[in-house]
Amino acid sequence: MSFVARSLIRNVPLMGKAILSQQKQIAARLLHQTAPLAAVRVQHPAPDFKGLAVVDNSFQEVKLEDYRESIWCCSSTHWISDFTAAAHFGGEGDSAQDRQAAIDEMIVEQKRRKNEIAKEKDEVFDLTEKLDANYKLLLPLVAKATKDVQDAKPPPDAYDKLLKEMIFEPRGSVADKLINPDELAKQEAARLEKLENERLRRMRADGEEEEETSIAKPKHRSADDLDDGYFLAGEGDEGDDTLAYDLDGNLGTHLNGKKEAEAKGNENEDDDDEEGEEEEEEDSDEESDSEVDNLSDLKESESESEPEEAPKASKKKAKKSADTIPASLDTSIPFTIKMPKTYENFTELLSKHATAQKVTIIERIIKCNHPKLEGVNRENVVKLYSFLLQYLKDLFEDASEQDIREHFQLLSKLMPHLYELTQLNPERMSNTLLEVIKEKYGEFRKNHKMYPSLDTLVYFKLVANLYSTSDFRHPVVTPCFIFMQHVLSRSRVRTRQEISMGLFLVTVVLEFVSQSKRLVPAIFNFLQGIVHMSIPKRDVEQLEITPPFERDGPLSKLLALPANMESTKLEPQRMQPSDLVTQTITPDFKVRALDTSLLLIKEALQLVEEHDGACYLAQPFLRLLSRLPLDSYPEHVHQHHKEATELAEKLAAQKMKPLAPAEKKPKALRLLEPRFEAVYDDKRRPKMSKAKEERAKLLHKIKREKKGAIREIRRDTAFVQTLRLKQTLQSDKERHEKVKRIYQEASVQQGELNELARAKKKKKF
Amino acid sequence: MKRLTVKVDDDTGESLAKKQLQSKANSLLNAEKVDIKTLKGFVQLLKNTPDNMPAGEVMNTLEVIFKNLLKRKAIAGTERQGLKIQELYEETWLLLIEHLLVDSESSVAVKVCMQLIKVEAKYPIAPNKGWPTHRIRGMLGTLINCDATPTAALANYGKYCKNLDVLEITLKQLKSLVPGEDFKDSPIKAMNLLSILNLLDMGKSVLSTADYHVESAKRQTFNFELNRKRLNDLWVTIMAKGNEVDEKLHRQILVVLLERVINHLNDPIQLTDFLMDSLHQFDGPIALLALQGIFTLMQKQNITYPDVYEKLYNMLYPRMFHNKYKARLFYLADIFLTSTHLPENLVAAFVKRLARLALQSPTEDAVIMIQFVCNLLLRHTGLQKLIRASHAADELSDPYNPTETDPVKSEAMNSSLWEITLLQKHVVPEVANAARFINSSLPVMEFDLAPLLDRKECNIFDDELQSKAKQFALNYERPTNLALPKNQFVTKYWDLI
Repeated sequence: MSFVARSLIRNVPLMGKAILSQQKQIAARLLHQTAPLAAVRVQHPAPDFKGLAVVDNSFQEVKLEDYRESIWCCSSTHWISDFTAAAHFGGEGDSAQDRQAAIDEMIVEQKRRKNEIAKEKDEVFDLTEKLDANYKLLLPLVAKATKDVQDAKPPPDAYDKLLKEMIFEPRGSVADKLINPDELAKQEAARLEKLENERLRRMRADGEEEEETSIAKPKHRSADDLDDGYFLAGEGDEGDDTLAYDLDGNLGTHLNGKKEAEAKGNENEDDDDEEGEEEEEEDSDEESDSEVDNLSDLKESESESEPEEAPKASKKKAKKSADTIPASLDTSIPFTIKMPKTYENFTELLSKHATAQKVTIIERIIKCNHPKLEGVNRENVVKLYSFLLQYLKDLFEDASEQDIREHFQLLSKLMPHLYELTQLNPERMSNTLLEVIKEKYGEFRKNHKMYPSLDTLVYFKLVANLYSTSDFRHPVVTPCFIFMQHVLSRSRVRTRQEISMGLFLVTVVLEFVSQSKRLVPAIFNFLQGIVHMSIPKRDVEQLEITPPFERDGPLSKLLALPANMESTKLEPQRMQPSDLVTQTITPDFKVRALDTSLLLIKEALQLVEEHDGACYLAQPFLRLLSRLPLDSYPEHVHQHHKEATELAEKLAAQKMKPLAPAEKKPKALRLLEPRFEAVYDDKRRPKMSKAKEERAKLLHKIKREKKGAIREIRRDTAFVQTLRLKQTLQSDKERHEKVKRIYQEASVQQGELNELARAKKKKKF
Repeated sequence: MKRLTVKVDDDTGESLAKKQLQSKANSLLNAEKVDIKTLKGFVQLLKNTPDNMPAGEVMNTLEVIFKNLLKRKAIAGTERQGLKIQELYEETWLLLIEHLLVDSESSVAVKVCMQLIKVEAKYPIAPNKGWPTHRIRGMLGTLINCDATPTAALANYGKYCKNLDVLEITLKQLKSLVPGEDFKDSPIKAMNLLSILNLLDMGKSVLSTADYHVESAKRQTFNFELNRKRLNDLWVTIMAKGNEVDEKLHRQILVVLLERVINHLNDPIQLTDFLMDSLHQFDGPIALLALQGIFTLMQKQNITYPDVYEKLYNMLYPRMFHNKYKARLFYLADIFLTSTHLPENLVAAFVKRLARLALQSPTEDAVIMIQFVCNLLLRHTGLQKLIRASHAADELSDPYNPTETDPVKSEAMNSSLWEITLLQKHVVPEVANAARFINSSLPVMEFDLAPLLDRKECNIFDDELQSKAKQFALNYERPTNLALPKNQFVTKYWDLI
């Protein structure tokens, strides 16, 4: 078979996939023509192949392997006739009779190998059978041996038991890390600081902060800041936060850093102090819990009940005892007290007991009805709170001279419990209190010339103690402010009670604003009024004063001391609770009221000291203070008058910078962007995504760079080559010259030799 | 609870008595012939009212009875019964007029009187014809001659004065009712007279509504010119008597003059002396009212009064927040300072004065004054120097002199509005926010002050309760007793515990 035919045999089936039947026929004809040309020798079995072929008028997959058996088994004339019939489109078989022997040999070999394999399989099978049988025999032996070992184990002794126990014993539970007092203090300080920051945030008005920051100059400027000294005006200020070494050589922001550190230190101290106090308190609680203390309690309460003669001396003591008493055990009071259903029950419950025990009762009610214990208690505590408010109202509304101090003591002791109650459900409790205040205001506005009753003032004090009064806007505090201002600016001041109530309100307002340092004009007017009242005036002269104070008439000198009165001996004394309920004005009250007013003036001015325009508040006082006849007043009033006047003078001389709008950074000129125009170059670029475009650009760049690099390299090689050429040329030249010279010399030599030879010849001749 | 039942008993008793009364009246009217005795009983009932019977009910019943009788013309008859009824009718009138002065019954009494007048005008009793003017005269006489100002009756009568016929007749009658002696001798009568005059509104709205109390009066239309002349005459009489009166009456004269009279006077120039005297001799509300009068004269009669700004300036002082006419003062000041042609230093003085006052005033006034100052700064752009000084300026104490009476000399122009910065620290958020206007650029539009003028402190309280802030922030430090943990003042200055 020719090479062409053979390759066709191999390839046709493969081609058959794609080639049309026409082409196949052409190929078949070719085969017909070439077949008889030469005898074919088969040296190797044809490699296995498969392909599609037409069998019974349909395409089927044909494999040589399938026919192999038939090849070997068939007669030589028809070897692979079937195969060829299929693969060669019905082509004739082609025999190889001369190879009969070899084929037979091959068949024998094949059969032998088959036998060998079968034999091997049998052997393996037999062996496994044998092994299995042996194993089954061995099995009982093995099992017995392991059981023996188990039996041999000795019974566990004490040690083992202990060991086992120790293995399975829990190794201690996971507990919180022990916090040492320092860390505790730190946490507490952090908590307080957070709360304080929140308070400060609330204190500011909505837009105030931004305005302030916009006024303040920028904190940091980079070295190449192009402000060009626009903020030069504010440069002189201290408090520059630049990093610098201070005198001691410590790195830090000078001035500010120090101040902060100081402030922090103070705060910490404060915190420590407070904590110390708390701890002390707890200690004392514990102490008083012990039963030995009962006697001392009794004693103290006795001493408390008699104090009125020497209030000043016993005051401190009373206060101390007040701190120690509250948690004392009183056997007469049951430990669990049910929440009273109605207010009447509540008052009944309290009415039988003394002040200290009342507090204990309320404390126990709170404890028994803590909302954590039961859901219903949530309502109960609100009820208790409203009962307490009502109780305070009843106490103070018609308090008499004798029991008012006691009422205040009760209030003082109730304060922590009221605070706790409010903490339990701020919203409900606050709404209750707010309702009460609303009601009070409703009563007051009907006749705003009359002071409200004392219980209203007590509610204000309660608000001061419970709420964060420094907030810019607070749902409870702000209405209270308006209420108090209204009272101070409208209600007539005619009696001792009204003067005292006014002063009490002023004090409470000062407490309200002590942190926010906000301005309440009414208190300044009121204090001016009190000083004005203390100035004795003749009928003709009039000192201007704001209402509700009278400019003239008897009410305008209510507090003035008569000229012949000698009261320089009076001891310094604070305002008394009895002042709040009595009407007649006594000389000692006059002195006391003026003294307190002077002190309050000082406090009030100190609060507004730092504001611009404080001078406007201080100036009216100067006018009045200078008119005050001090001769008949005792020493401490002189002292306080001097202090107040000094402060007012200092503030009145205040200098202020004229108002100017905050510096604004000038707006930069708008820069003009260069306008790029696309140049039309009649090239169509395929539309690509940005990333792809970028990549294409980069590839292009790489290509260009590569080209450039190749060019460079070419130039370099060219240069090197020219250099080399030059060198070779030079060396060639040199060699040429040398050769020339050698030739020259040689020719000269030859010449000479020739000459010599000629000369010899001549001689011969 | 006990009281409540008693009250219920009272109520039932009253309603029972009322029913009885009504049924009695019905039977009286239903009877063919009027029973004089029963009628007399009714009149007696009004004379000494029993406890369980409110006089108002009796009066209402009498009104029904006499209305019917008038319609039947039973009163007009000449026979004995008619005369008798007429007698009783007159007695009823006397009693009704007496009841005018009782505050709780005056509203019913006035109503009954006016209703009877209405019916009587329709069915006049023999000698009189048409409008029973003598009834009005009787009422007015009582009102003027009573000892205390009958505010309730006046208010009720005022409602009827909106009717042009009542107005005309009242005006006509008043002239003759002016008390003979000088006002200073009978201040209460004068006061009452002025109060009645104050009810007579001849403004455009009343004239254009043209209501009449009695239907028939519509035929003779209201003659404005004639009534104007009457008013002029009346006023001349009043002015002749109103010398050296006390302050309250003087104020009332001025109020009536400004509210009701000045617009209808033929020759208001004559008032100039009166007003000038009032302005210079008094201060406080009288001066303020006089200033308003002068302002009207300046507007309408073209008088000139160069010191008007100085006067106004000196009227702004702390005490004025506590007088009744505060809103009027703000309104006047706003009008006076509307002109943009005023010298800047004058307006600056006003600005400084107002800002100072805001520091001393009650809350609601502070808001008004801050916004007023803002308005002034907008009107007079030159004044913005007060809040927009140059940065290079040195610190100084305020050059403004608050005691200087001449605003031009008060050096206000060289000052700066530190008061407003201080007010930003005001404790009431509304004031603090209002004062923040100087921090950013000024508003484009002026604030409208009118709605603010009537606000009271309680309105601010209510607004604050409705504000959105609902976060009940608490003190984070637990108070252990009455004292605050920090900054305690109460325990420092009060020996309470």
